[in-house]
Amino acid sequence: MSRIAITGTASYLGGRVLRRLVEARGADRVLALDIAAPPTTLHGVRHRMVDLTLPGADQRLVDVFQEEHVDTVFHAAFFTTPRRDAAYSHELESIGTLHLAAAAAAAGVRHLVLRSFTAVYGARGQNPNFLTEDRRPDGRSSLAWVRDKVEAEEHAFSFSRRYPGLGVTVLRFATLLGAGVHTFYTRIFSKRVVPVVLGYDPLVQFLHPDDALRAVDAALAKGPCGIVNVAPRGAISLLTALHLSDKLTLPVPHVLAYPVADLWWGSGVGEAPGGFIDYALYLFVADGEKARRELGFEARHTSRDALMAFLEYRYPDTARRAKEQREREREEADSREAQA
Amino acid sequence: MSESKVVPISTRVRRRRTPAPEEEALRQRLAELERELAASRNAEEHEGLVVTLARVLHAGARGVSWASLARLQRAVYFAWHSEETDEFGADRRFAETLEPFLDFLYAVWWRVEAAGAENVPSSGPGLIVANHSGVLPYDGLMVQLAIRHEHPAKRVCRMLALDMFALLPVLAPLLSKSGSVRANPENAERLLRQGELLGVFPEGVKGVGKYFRERYRLARFGRGGFVRIALRTGAPIIPCAVVGAEEIHPVVAKADWVGRPIGLPYFPLTPTFPWLGPLGFVPLPTKWSIDFGDPIDLGGHVPEDADDPILVNRISEEVRSTIQRMVDGRLARRRSVWFG
Repeated sequence: MSRIAITGTASYLGGRVLRRLVEARGADRVLALDIAAPPTTLHGVRHRMVDLTLPGADQRLVDVFQEEHVDTVFHAAFFTTPRRDAAYSHELESIGTLHLAAAAAAAGVRHLVLRSFTAVYGARGQNPNFLTEDRRPDGRSSLAWVRDKVEAEEHAFSFSRRYPGLGVTVLRFATLLGAGVHTFYTRIFSKRVVPVVLGYDPLVQFLHPDDALRAVDAALAKGPCGIVNVAPRGAISLLTALHLSDKLTLPVPHVLAYPVADLWWGSGVGEAPGGFIDYALYLFVADGEKARRELGFEARHTSRDALMAFLEYRYPDTARRAKEQREREREEADSREAQA
Repeated sequence: MSESKVVPISTRVRRRRTPAPEEEALRQRLAELERELAASRNAEEHEGLVVTLARVLHAGARGVSWASLARLQRAVYFAWHSEETDEFGADRRFAETLEPFLDFLYAVWWRVEAAGAENVPSSGPGLIVANHSGVLPYDGLMVQLAIRHEHPAKRVCRMLALDMFALLPVLAPLLSKSGSVRANPENAERLLRQGELLGVFPEGVKGVGKYFRERYRLARFGRGGFVRIALRTGAPIIPCAVVGAEEIHPVVAKADWVGRPIGLPYFPLTPTFPWLGPLGFVPLPTKWSIDFGDPIDLGGHVPEDADDPILVNRISEEVRSTIQRMVDGRLARRRSVWFG
């Protein structure tokens, strides 16, 4: 009997996928790999402690994969929030994936599913409004956070090229937002005052966790199919999202924003380094067409739904106000149409 | 049980009859405090205006919270933005807010005269190709309005905005919310396949930032990208000549080194800008005419012709000379820059 191994089960997405698979396929079909134990509420799940940052991690993984008859791996051990300890992130994400892909190839794993981010495309002024999978990721980003993810993807694909038995799927998820999600995005959305870049208001995408789980289901069912964007329905403008969340926005000129953010980050106060300001200036909206075509996956929730799910969980009053405003706007639109 | 009921009642009665001496002292102190309070109230009534004002201000400042400021900001934002945009970021309420101002420019300031709007197809895709000028992208907005006002089907035309405008603060969200999209082949192809009407200025930066002495001499048409898209999507090309826009901001010199640090591709010097400060942004009230020529149907070609650079360049050059002819014809008939 073959098992699905999930790495990074202590992360939000890894943990949710683990729970989902236990419920759908039974505890004896999954294997949790992490340095931390999975939640005690999941009974009967096999857990093997593997530290991807250790030099011998690949050999240990080969042993684990063979002993546990692993044929599919969902690799979710990635940081959604940038860390000040860039060396550790690099070891875990880039080198850790290298170890994992090498072990998967050696142990005869059929399918490696990588959790990635639409942010790897980079937010650039030249981006088209919808980024498709054939767009090259931003491997020269100023952000170590992005570079590590791009390297991880490259490692996985290089092993899949050398070992045809190993198929790779890279799921590039849009920014997760919803109940229970804790990332630097949710930390920014939990502040009273949020600095924004003066005169910019790009569209952003927020993915509802339920959609993310359905996409993982679809990818595991379908088998290897390369890079796939997992995007929500529609996008929302950044300022609309902030004002719906009742944030006081503080506009900062963009020439000032980068050094100030870097200083803020460097002094241990900021949530993210200055490079992330690009994502508040320019578009990185992903096109979900390939997922629809090849995985049969279509998001059920819009970006606004994901934001509302987060607000209902974090700020119920604000969520109620936003809902009322939405109803008012719908009524206005209806009456306008009735007139016309 | 019965004993315990009897004992406390008897003790309580006994205590009330003989009040303790410390209780008497407390009562006296309370009376003293009440007298003091009354005296201070009396003093408050007679205190000066300054102290009263200070008290009011202090109370007011305590009343202002982050939350109330945020709600104020939110109300201001949603007064001219709606919370739903289309997938390219066009905001209906924003466009409605901008409309009176743009209509004023169209009808009063520049007294635009549009001819040949019926040459624009009333349904299905179409690519309007026009000459670009005027430093700021007013010509695009006016072409958009000309079609909305003069076209029998009142079609909506989306403009492809130059990267440089789509990246400038303030202007970038303004353009995308009013329906423009960033000019790149992916966006154009996607919109044309959806059957939308697009406006494009193939001269690009060379056109919009040209010197006053070069007015009405069309610059090179990029590398024929618009022709390739028309060939691939089968959309007809409608040549369009805008006369009047080239004099609104006469560029007599350029000081590019000023704009470079803030990301501007050029820095124009006009008779009014930057010498007159904000007045320098007021465009001159010339008389405009917008002519739409006969559509150029590329139906005789196949989509694969888009890969033939010689053919693409030839068609591009044909379109350019057609527009140049239309511009020259209109200029020959024009007697005055201000009155047409």
